[in-house]
Amino acid sequence: MNRKHKSDLGILFATLGLMILGLIVIYAIGPMRANVLNSTYGTNYGANDFFFGQLRSVALSLAAFFLAFKVIPYDLVKKCAKPAIIIALFLSVLLWILAQSGSSLAKCELGECRWYNLGPVSFQPAEFLKLAMAIYLADFLDRKKEEGSIGKFKEFWVPLIIVCGLALGLVVVAQGDLGTGVALMAIILGALLVSGVPAHQYLIMLAIIIVVAVGAVATSSHRMQRINAWIDTISGAEVSDSTYHIENAMLAIGTGGFFGVGIGNSVQATGYLPESINDSVFAIMGETFGFVGLFVIIAVFGAILIRMLKVAEHTPGRNERYYIVAVFAWTLAQVAVNIMAMTGLVPVTGITLPLLSYGGTSMIFISFAIGLVLQLSCYTSREVIKNEDISSRRGVGRTHYSSRRRRS
Amino acid sequence: MPRINLLKKIVFVALAIIAVRLFFIQIIEHDMWVAKANDQHTLVETITPKRGEIYMMDHNEPVAVVLNQTVYSVIIDPAVTEKDKIKAALETHAKNYITADLDEVYNIEGLRYYIVAKNVPYTNAVEIAEEGISSVWLKEGNARVYPEGEMASGTLGFVNADGLGQYGVEGSLNKLLTGKEGTLKTIADVNKVALSIGKDNVKIPAEDGKDVVLSIDRNFEKGIEEWGMNAINGTQADHAAILVMNPNNGEVVAMATLPNYNPANYGLVKDASAYINQTTEVPYEPASICKTFTYSAAINEGKMTPDTTYNNKHYEIVDGWKIWNAETRSKLYGTISMRDALYWSLNTGSIHALKLLGDNSESITQAGREKLYDYYHNKFRLGQATGIELIEAEGYIEDPNEGWGRDSTYANMTFGQNLGITMIQTATAFSAVVNGGYWRTPSVVKGTLENGNIKPLDNEKVTEQILSAETSAIMRDLLINNRSWKVNNGTDRPGYAIGGKTGTAQVIVDGSYDSEMNNLVGSYMGFVGTAGELPQYVVMVKMWGEGKAIGSGDAMNLFDNLSHYIIDYFKIKPKA
Repeated sequence: MNRKHKSDLGILFATLGLMILGLIVIYAIGPMRANVLNSTYGTNYGANDFFFGQLRSVALSLAAFFLAFKVIPYDLVKKCAKPAIIIALFLSVLLWILAQSGSSLAKCELGECRWYNLGPVSFQPAEFLKLAMAIYLADFLDRKKEEGSIGKFKEFWVPLIIVCGLALGLVVVAQGDLGTGVALMAIILGALLVSGVPAHQYLIMLAIIIVVAVGAVATSSHRMQRINAWIDTISGAEVSDSTYHIENAMLAIGTGGFFGVGIGNSVQATGYLPESINDSVFAIMGETFGFVGLFVIIAVFGAILIRMLKVAEHTPGRNERYYIVAVFAWTLAQVAVNIMAMTGLVPVTGITLPLLSYGGTSMIFISFAIGLVLQLSCYTSREVIKNEDISSRRGVGRTHYSSRRRRS
Repeated sequence: MPRINLLKKIVFVALAIIAVRLFFIQIIEHDMWVAKANDQHTLVETITPKRGEIYMMDHNEPVAVVLNQTVYSVIIDPAVTEKDKIKAALETHAKNYITADLDEVYNIEGLRYYIVAKNVPYTNAVEIAEEGISSVWLKEGNARVYPEGEMASGTLGFVNADGLGQYGVEGSLNKLLTGKEGTLKTIADVNKVALSIGKDNVKIPAEDGKDVVLSIDRNFEKGIEEWGMNAINGTQADHAAILVMNPNNGEVVAMATLPNYNPANYGLVKDASAYINQTTEVPYEPASICKTFTYSAAINEGKMTPDTTYNNKHYEIVDGWKIWNAETRSKLYGTISMRDALYWSLNTGSIHALKLLGDNSESITQAGREKLYDYYHNKFRLGQATGIELIEAEGYIEDPNEGWGRDSTYANMTFGQNLGITMIQTATAFSAVVNGGYWRTPSVVKGTLENGNIKPLDNEKVTEQILSAETSAIMRDLLINNRSWKVNNGTDRPGYAIGGKTGTAQVIVDGSYDSEMNNLVGSYMGFVGTAGELPQYVVMVKMWGEGKAIGSGDAMNLFDNLSHYIIDYFKIKPKA
């Protein structure tokens, strides 16, 4: 491992900046959300309940972020890969069993049971599953690489498909959480891409996934409805109950114009836009900050993503590199799918916008995941790792890189 | 690493697509989304003004006879499927106020707002509100309350479920009573609660309607209606209309179309003609009452005096038509004075007056017709709206020259047939005959009530002397003379000047006068006052019934009773 140096400041500040922005927006629209819920469902939320909720989530996320960044060494994390995935899968199975038995420990909303009910807090095991999957896959692929069995059917594909299939099945089918399913899929695809799976196998796998996905959508009326709603919206059909969400997200973004209506002036947040503080928060930001604001937000996400890839490129350890790319894919999937859904580019899947959306578990785990990436950024080599087996020739390219820089 | 470079490209492409898409939505489509947002967010609410109340007089003090009550409309959002809950709530708490078929309302696609019940009283509205159905809300409004029940319904009119005044004062002064709607335009949240966000919020307050004070005396009206109903019950008549006004200022003090209907429950009336104010909206033939106007014209023109005589043959042939007198006793045959001809209500007498108007004692002339038209139409303003603050029919007076058979038409007009005039026109013209010769715009509204003071309306009021004071005095004597037998038999009290004229009109059945006399409308037009002074009140009575022969005798009996009632109610003093 390389000598420790400074972490990637881009990722650090971008992450912290997004958290603060999310906090500000929730502070502005939280009272509206409380008001809408109180007058529609007779709940009794205080004006700042959502802000304090987000403040608590941000505090916990920061704790997780710095724990991963500064305290828990990645070497320790990677040793926990197998127990982590086993615990994560077990928690999802347990949740399913609890939900089936009607236990009050399983918290369900709109018929989908995705949370553990732990008194004042709730916990979404799928979020932990994403993190565990990233850590596990990094370890798995590293081991297979070492064994030289990447791409082999029995040694590689069979165990991979069992673990990933189980995880996806639990999330998409048992918990009905397509959004997390997409993120999980992205983690798997991202990690596999850089693990040296032969291109033709990778493409066959992609083809199979697409066929399965299309089949899963076509056989579910619920998912077909979302597809139809999306088609209706982008084709400008009349607003119906199913197109209402996308239509109002685009309306929020569209009214923002160039500079936005300003903080506290969002009308769409007063109940017109569903999920305004969590899944749809990007649309509220579009209304509030306008094109300029959204462009900056996208640029910040872009910076985080590109910096992650940069760190991956310069990370000598295979396991570490796979892990970083998995977290990259996870972040990219959530950012792209969430924003594209809000702008009518893809159907709504119900996915949070990392670091900005209201909600505890998802922010805590992705913060932890990014924190680990930041830790790894302290140990990058100066040179771009060119060879998959570069770890055995550690340090060779260093002077080459330096000299090239000097010449320029 | 090529595969990481591929990922970088994916990031750039994905973010570029998003940025372009955002540019498209936020910059290019911006105006469209803003328009859509305005549609969705703007709540335009009309602020309903309070409808003015209606007062009558209690001698010199205004008293309310039509009041407001706060009622509620029940509005639902049919897009929320709570039909069964709403249906149950309405059936239990507001069954009588439902205005819509819920099944139909829920079948209309895209409907977000529908009024399903109206005029729901406060207590019922509270019960509905307590059901706590989220897609139901209540809107406050006004409903009318009538402390005097059915009294003067024909004059007051009613307010329909849409808040629109119909018939009577409610209809004619609807604008004044309604006031001006206000507007509240504001950005609202999804539950239609106004937000302080937005710069285009507009609030124009409502202007409440004016309280209107009628010149009708409440207690007097009540008594008049009692007498009228007694007359209906005591005769063959089904209907009676009574008009009492002060001839010296044109103010109506009683106006009744009987029987009344209940304005609070106007929907129960089966025949809409019951809503019509018979005193202003229905032109008819008051018959011999009009002899008063013919005599007034001839005397005022200096063509005759009550002592002028003519040869009565009981009939007159005009344009080939034989016009008979109703009274043909033999002692009246031959030379007779105009005074006696009026006393016996001889048609030949009023035809003779028409001849005299044309300076030809033998036949009707163009000059005579034109003179009579000038008096009837231009001076007495018959066949024209009087300008009273109510819905009026104009009626008609035939042209003196246009058309066939002018002489017979005008011969008929001298005794009040072949014309169409309303009771208010007749009573106003009669007022001019007896009040010293002044035609005054009649009025039923004293004004609006502002801070306890009555402020007159700014409608145009005419005062025009159309007869000389001498003519008027002669006419009063003639009309009192008509009732000399009433004085003699003790009906008319000594010390009072009570005069009048009967009118029995044949009704036109299938285009011609019913010669069988099975359909008659009885009328009486008279005045009451202290002897030797100008009359204080004129009274017009009309009684009729479908297929009934109601003679002027019934109307006259009612007038007799009313004359006593008027003297007592207004404490008119006899001549000392």
